[in-house]
Amino acid sequence: MKSMRDIKISEAFKQFFLLVIAGSFFVGYSAYSHHSNAMFDQQQVVEFSGTIKEFQFTNPHTWVQVMVEDDTGTTVEWSLEWGSPNNLGRQGIRPSTFPPGADVMIKTYPMKDGSPGGLFIGARFADGQTIGRWE
Amino acid sequence: MTSKTKNRLAVLLLGCSCFGISTVSAQESPDWSGVWAMNGGTIFDLDTKTGEGGSTTPGVREHPPYNQDFEAKYQANLDLRDAGVFPDPNSYCGIPTGYPRLMNLPDVYEFAVTDKQVWILTENGPNVLRIYTDGREHPSAADRWPTHTGDSIGHWEGDTLVFDTLSLHSSESGNTIIDRTGLILSDAAHIVTRMAINDEGLMEAQMTIEDAKALASPWVVTKRYRRLEEGSRVYDYACNENNRNPIDPNTGWTYTIGPDGQIMDINPGQ
Repeated sequence: MKSMRDIKISEAFKQFFLLVIAGSFFVGYSAYSHHSNAMFDQQQVVEFSGTIKEFQFTNPHTWVQVMVEDDTGTTVEWSLEWGSPNNLGRQGIRPSTFPPGADVMIKTYPMKDGSPGGLFIGARFADGQTIGRWE
Repeated sequence: MTSKTKNRLAVLLLGCSCFGISTVSAQESPDWSGVWAMNGGTIFDLDTKTGEGGSTTPGVREHPPYNQDFEAKYQANLDLRDAGVFPDPNSYCGIPTGYPRLMNLPDVYEFAVTDKQVWILTENGPNVLRIYTDGREHPSAADRWPTHTGDSIGHWEGDTLVFDTLSLHSSESGNTIIDRTGLILSDAAHIVTRMAINDEGLMEAQMTIEDAKALASPWVVTKRYRRLEEGSRVYDYACNENNRNPIDPNTGWTYTIGPDGQIMDINPGQ
């Protein structure tokens, strides 16, 4: 499992484990949801590394569950909300896209209150393959 | 040979083979087959949009010809939207989208033309709008009641489907809206829709909305849809399958369910 300490640009967000990268060029990007996205802070992008626990390829949204180790050594499960499996499926995303155990870097719009969740933006696997938006 | 010509020929041949005669007239139906997706995001009336962003972006709004009463109602909805607590019925998973909002959905569409009905099938929802083209009239006022999709009767003018929809729920009751900015109509809404494939190959639906309770003048809105690549599929949309975003019924705030099945975030309004 990779550590949050791997991240290139860091900035305290919720004291102990969030890292934030400037994300002005991502501002304005959001997937359609059947609900309000007011819980997400789309003014900043958080980037971290972790290990895939599960890819919930379900309606109305898919969820990427990622195990992340914070600076204290505690492992926290992050919940990253993405688009519907239907639209993503038509774009080539599959239930197997995020295999359990895979190491990934993640970019997400974090939850405003600091809870371990966010709106998924993109991911990069160890072999350099990227999913979603990775710029 | 165009696909439309093939359709007509197929129907003609079918008629000949079934009835053994050569004088069966071909059914004139345009080729609306395939899978379609709406252009332009879920702002219902792009032509009157002001502000930058989508339907959930604070400051974005449209400008229907609302009367004073409904302009005030719309403004109240916009204020809730700006605060992130607008109560969109779709967020609760389980209520049909209704008309005309079902023409304003993400995901994809199918437009199924049959001899006596046209069906607009939306993946999101899912929803079905049935348009009767068999010559029937609307039920009498005593024999119909408001529903999410209302009652639609239509006819063909060449390759253009023209249909008339009424008997819709009042949006004021909170069980249907048109888009996430908070556009609403009353139960007096009467919509005439003209649908055809335009010169650019886009399905175009022009809706002329009259509403004596809400609008000071007719509101004309045009939505367009592009045909996806051949072979595209439509999938189940089961909103309650794994809905991890319950709505607080008191405040309208959208929570997030964590991996332990419990709400994990804080409602800033409490």
